Amino acid sequence: MREMMAHTAGRVFVAVLALSVIGVIAAIAAGALEAPAEGSPAVWFGWVTAPLALGIVFVLVWLVAYLVYFTRFWPFR
Amino acid sequence: MTDALALGLFSAVIVAMAAYGYRFSARSAEDYMLAGRAIGVVVMFFFVLFAISSSWTFYGFPGVLYRHGPAYVLFIWGSVAGFAGLYMFLGPRLWALAKLNRFLSPVETLAARYESPTLRVVLAVTMLAFIVPYVGIQPLGVGHGFVALTGYPLWVGAVYTTVLLVVLVVLGGMRIVAWVNIFLGVVYITALLGSLVWVVAVAFPDGGIVEAVARLKETAPEQLAAPGPLGEYTRVLTIGTFIVGLLAFTWPHVVIGAMTARDRSLFKWLPLMIFIFGGLFFYVIPFIWGSIVAPAALPGVADPAEADRVVQTVIQTFLPRWFAVFVLMGVIAAAISTAAVQLMTAGILVARDLVQGVFRPQATDAQIMRWARWSVVAIVVFSLSVTVAVVLGLGEEAMALYLTDISVPGFAQWAPALVGGLLWKRGTRQGALAGTLAGTVYLVAGLFVGGERALFLGLHPILPTLVLNGLVYTVTSLLTPRPGEEIVDVFFTEVDDFLHSESSRG
Repeated sequence: MREMMAHTAGRVFVAVLALSVIGVIAAIAAGALEAPAEGSPAVWFGWVTAPLALGIVFVLVWLVAYLVYFTRFWPFR
Repeated sequence: MTDALALGLFSAVIVAMAAYGYRFSARSAEDYMLAGRAIGVVVMFFFVLFAISSSWTFYGFPGVLYRHGPAYVLFIWGSVAGFAGLYMFLGPRLWALAKLNRFLSPVETLAARYESPTLRVVLAVTMLAFIVPYVGIQPLGVGHGFVALTGYPLWVGAVYTTVLLVVLVVLGGMRIVAWVNIFLGVVYITALLGSLVWVVAVAFPDGGIVEAVARLKETAPEQLAAPGPLGEYTRVLTIGTFIVGLLAFTWPHVVIGAMTARDRSLFKWLPLMIFIFGGLFFYVIPFIWGSIVAPAALPGVADPAEADRVVQTVIQTFLPRWFAVFVLMGVIAAAISTAAVQLMTAGILVARDLVQGVFRPQATDAQIMRWARWSVVAIVVFSLSVTVAVVLGLGEEAMALYLTDISVPGFAQWAPALVGGLLWKRGTRQGALAGTLAGTVYLVAGLFVGGERALFLGLHPILPTLVLNGLVYTVTSLLTPRPGEEIVDVFFTEVDDFLHSESSRG
């Protein structure tokens, strides 16, 4: 991690990951995993519930950030 | 009779692989404990994935989803990031340090970094205290599987698993444990995914999973969102569960995996497999089982222990018996693949860090390996006490919460010393000792003193204990003399030079 913080691309990478963690926490805090007061729970494609959808988006953010950084910028690549 | 034959054949394959591996593992302590530092990316992925995917993913995890709805899956999303983070942020430095200085355990590495034999004992004892009971849960899980499927007493499955574990770890060592994890992992994935596809086809023939969700929407919509049917997974608890997952990078049996890597390129490619295969595929299977298929196919199970077994009950209800036996093999595979790595880690902590580190510094490789093997036998016998406690009615059975409420907070108590030791030049021996002791004492006191865990202020055990630990570590480090130049050279300058030279050669 020291090598990441020593250049701009690495700092951006770490910042993106940190923001995604904060984003998940903010989504939970905002009630994104709960059903509306007068409605049924959110479901996508007939079976993807909100906690699953949130997790998939979170992992995809990490995956894309990792692919960009580790294949193009990681000092030890 | 057919059950016994199938399980006998399964165990014969594992024993044969362990016996084959004995030829390699007996050469040196480095071979036995760290697989000769020769694990490549594919083997490492299976090694790590199935070191962490225990019978918990078949019993405990779906059991909590079944009772409390889908919010508990946030633990998994945090864990995926935590495991990937270990290999992206800490792994290269830990690997390089161990390779350059011939360290055989992460605790040994930190003791050298902080120049503290006392810290070595504190960390080794702390990790052992939280890892050994978790080893004990694995035979217990298999014992429950035996009870449900064959009607054999609980102890039969537990002893069956224990014997296999001893043979595998004592003969095979880390290298063969890693290789056997591939075999066990394939069996487990086939059983878990195959049973899911089959049950969905039988129980929901008109629309598959979509039909199951539609049924839940009508009959139990609270099953599909937070805070779940019992209203327990509030926003605060769900956030805490996510943070507990993020700290998965501290699990000692996963950390030690980074030291077995063959070369630096492993740290470049392993996260890719963790994200795609682990995050987007493997862990989604038990999630669908516990949060959708089981509650739709078999609603109304309220008892926590029964909920832990709900996936197996559904399989036995909807599928032929022979397939249920195959699924039980998958559960045994999951239990053994995790417990074997935990046992290896525990054996290394005892032999390398406690016995050699404290009492016999001049021990030979042969002696260290002998102590490691004997300690494995002792630990596995001791861990059977978990099963004995349950048989005698002295212990609790809900598996999932043992992992997230006790083991993981315990593992996390070396996080500040680990992260600071590898990344922060200013971290000191006094800081590491004070932080680790403060966090651990607080955790143990909070678990046993006061009703409803009052000392944790209503929060998840990991949060207040880790905050205290980190604060004490940081403040004490800043107030005490900085580490000497030699430590900075060995643990930072030389490692940077080595990693850069490796990459320029690559």
